[in-house]
Amino acid sequence: MWIPIQINENSAEPLYHQIETQLRALIISGVITEGTLLPSIREFAGDLNCSVITVRRVYQDLEGEGMLRTRQGTGTFVSHVGDGAREGYKRDAVTKALESAVNIAQSVHSSEEELREIFQEIVERKYKEQQ
Amino acid sequence: MVQMAIELRNVRKQRRTKTIGPLNLKLPEGHITALVGQNGSGKSTLLQMLLQLNHPEQGQIYWFESMYADRLPVELRQRITYVPETSLSEEKHWSAEDAARFRSYWYPQWDNSYFQELIDTFEVPLNIKLGKMSKGERRKFEIAAALAARPRLLLLDEPSSGLDPFAWKKMIEVLRRYMNENNATIVISTHIVEEVRRLADYIVFMHQGQVLGMAEKDSLYGLWNEVWVNVSDQEELKELSAELPGTLHWTMDTPGVASFVTEHFYKIEKRIQNLGVHVIKSRSLELDEILSLWTQGHYPELVDLERGD
Repeated sequence: MWIPIQINENSAEPLYHQIETQLRALIISGVITEGTLLPSIREFAGDLNCSVITVRRVYQDLEGEGMLRTRQGTGTFVSHVGDGAREGYKRDAVTKALESAVNIAQSVHSSEEELREIFQEIVERKYKEQQ
Repeated sequence: MVQMAIELRNVRKQRRTKTIGPLNLKLPEGHITALVGQNGSGKSTLLQMLLQLNHPEQGQIYWFESMYADRLPVELRQRITYVPETSLSEEKHWSAEDAARFRSYWYPQWDNSYFQELIDTFEVPLNIKLGKMSKGERRKFEIAAALAARPRLLLLDEPSSGLDPFAWKKMIEVLRRYMNENNATIVISTHIVEEVRRLADYIVFMHQGQVLGMAEKDSLYGLWNEVWVNVSDQEELKELSAELPGTLHWTMDTPGVASFVTEHFYKIEKRIQNLGVHVIKSRSLELDEILSLWTQGHYPELVDLERGD
């Protein structure tokens, strides 16, 4: 199975961390569903042009978090992700995105009021589009 | 703990004009290790010692954690295959099929259907003599024959020299698939950065007969960055570089923009911002640039195999 992970080679973030964060997000957000057989370590390393050492570390970490499980001789599968984890992840992802938006606002010296106004406007526009 | 396919302890080999070693090296089983370094740095000599085509004057070599000072046992020798830098002339009057028949006699694990599959994949002509093949065709035959013997240890000395880009890509895929399906070990000497990038798990860097170090490939990428910052003049550049010890190669690229090279950029990024300096952009150094820093004495953090994974 092909896993949509995008590596940014110019990022200062270590490779294994980039892969781990994205794979975790794909599992929690339900893009990769429970029971999915992940590629073997060598295959995945080949797809990402990274070493098997990196992929092994990612699989081990996520296994430690209970997101993956490895069956001897068969491979590594996605485990059950609880609803609690999914909700928590959603909140984290949105919080993070908003925080970086606020950082930009601060760096260009937007006032609090201005920012709230912009935010309100965007929310109204986007949610109207959806209806 | 990871089992070692190869271990070298204080191995020394006298060549006509230079000494190789003392080499101390551990190559883990189940992984692909790339030997990189300039011409004459000792890569081929090292590979030949792993087959006992060359014997070191000093030191010990261990194969799968056992030492065989006199001669490799036949059962082990049958599980090691080698693609030399220049193909042997002994087989030049044979066709690929003749040579395959001969090799299958010496390698009991020889897998003829796999050989045929590889010959098809690589589009190696079957009916012409090996000596009449183009360099690339001969190379493809050698790679196919080395794999068809189902080696536990595969030694490749610049396997891709002479291959066109399509054949090269097929070779990468074939080697990956072999590693995925077998618990094998590959030691590959290469000059091609892209080959290292696509294949290697570990990189061993050789320079003037010495091993300068061994690193996990991914730990090298992203280790060094080139960074561009806003700096008004030479004086400010000097001040800033003094504030950032360990940074290298400061240059004024255009008026107002300076660049430098640094290890662990993320560790000093905050510091640069706190100094009120604007970072315009950064990029990771390529492998060849990292290796050239390495020859200048800027060692990356080395791997600790004992720790295991």
